[in-house]
Amino acid sequence: MNIELINVTRSFGRNRAVDGVSLEAGPGVLGLLGPNGAGKTSLLRMIGTVLPPSSGQIRLLDRDPRSAGPRREIRRRLGYLPQNLGYYPAFTVVEFVEYFALLKDMPPARVPRAVATAVERVDLGTRARARLRTLSGGMLRRVGIAQAIVNDPDLLLLDEPTAGLDPEQRVGFRALLRDLGRSATVVVSTHLVEDVGAACSEVALMDAGRVIFRGTPAELVARGEGHAVGDAPMERGYSAVLQAARRGGVAA
Amino acid sequence: MTEPEPSAHEHGELDLGGIDLGRVWTGVAAEVWRRHPGPAERMATRLLRSPGLARALLTTPSLMLPWLISTAVVFAVGGLITFTGGQSLVWLLGPGIAAVGISYAYGPGADPAWELSCSMPVSERMVLLVRAVSVFAVNAFLGLVVSGITYAGTSPGARAGAATVAITVAWLLPMTAVCALTLAVAVAVRSAAAGASAGVLAWMAMVFTSSSASGHLTAAVTDSSTYLAYLAVAACATAAVGYATRAQRGTYEY
Repeated sequence: MNIELINVTRSFGRNRAVDGVSLEAGPGVLGLLGPNGAGKTSLLRMIGTVLPPSSGQIRLLDRDPRSAGPRREIRRRLGYLPQNLGYYPAFTVVEFVEYFALLKDMPPARVPRAVATAVERVDLGTRARARLRTLSGGMLRRVGIAQAIVNDPDLLLLDEPTAGLDPEQRVGFRALLRDLGRSATVVVSTHLVEDVGAACSEVALMDAGRVIFRGTPAELVARGEGHAVGDAPMERGYSAVLQAARRGGVAA
Repeated sequence: MTEPEPSAHEHGELDLGGIDLGRVWTGVAAEVWRRHPGPAERMATRLLRSPGLARALLTTPSLMLPWLISTAVVFAVGGLITFTGGQSLVWLLGPGIAAVGISYAYGPGADPAWELSCSMPVSERMVLLVRAVSVFAVNAFLGLVVSGITYAGTSPGARAGAATVAITVAWLLPMTAVCALTLAVAVAVRSAAAGASAGVLAWMAMVFTSSSASGHLTAAVTDSSTYLAYLAVAACATAAVGYATRAQRGTYEY
């Protein structure tokens, strides 16, 4: 398993953002769904080794991130796209991706081809030498995705990756996700259920810091049968599970 | 005339006669887009044993907002130190305030990609150390240039030149040396904390040696008129530390 979480919690003052989450994930694409404030971003930041848990155990890529050496090794094989990724406006697309490739300890000889591959995969080849300040929001998001995949990570964490992408780009991105998920563990936090339905092999639904559903997209759809709220089958499943959890009903 | 930008759009998925054109095109793009590090970056890579740290060192001045904030803080502290007449406690507090300012500017305060940097194998604290070296070294160089220009000028210019010389020689150059020592130790023992300890010790030794020789050390403690200033500076530094490190609380320790 590339991700093993055992009873992980994270508190900020009195607010418990993540509350006793246990989760395992191997290769494939795991969609992390949930309403605003459900704890998705905090969970992703803990898996991304940006934030340590308040309690519980985390093992990533068979290593314990509490020790500096293993944490460094995890980070070499990690790709992370934060929810609010800032950019250096004076950098070009290639310079930005290259900068983070170097910070990821990639061997310098491998960097130019890896950067070119990542930039082409997010379809930014024609803007490779454009300054970031000249790009649109959707393009900047794709630059963020390029830096996340530049090291061909075994563990890829994407927080709201499709924010700002147009429908055509989102379709292309879903195909990229499915491709990446063949060999790596990809965790995608999103509130767009259609992204999950199209790209993810598994879904975890969070609410109030807890995972209240874990299964395949088809299983989530099945939960919504006969449920009135929601326009699409998966939205009905999402809504039904949330409602049941909030009433104290059955979780996954 | 601009260089043609390569694009794999029309070629990416083609495979003609066993030749993967997408792969070939990526190879071409890699060569076209390849950035060739200059001599300074190559030397920094060798010294720092890390291409990532070398790149961070060289790109520090190009991050405009953090650079401006850091430079303003560094010169403000330099001015404070120079114009308080060499009080030892001010001397001792100065590097701390400058470090807070640089950490804020290139840390969670003004670095837009700080959260991403925290997920990198190259320690964010080592990156902050190279940022500090770059800030002091470039400003020391600029200080020397400005000193040279203004010192040779008219009378008001000469006065300004004298002040710049004082800040450059008494603050920027020694701090560049201390930061370089800090970074060297940190790289040698692979620990930013060990490097910082070495830097603090070096600075304290420098200040106490010069203060003892000039008699300032005693005056700094016995002169009651300076207490309020010390308290104000300490309060500001405490507040700044609290603010600059607020997002770092709970991060993994190195």
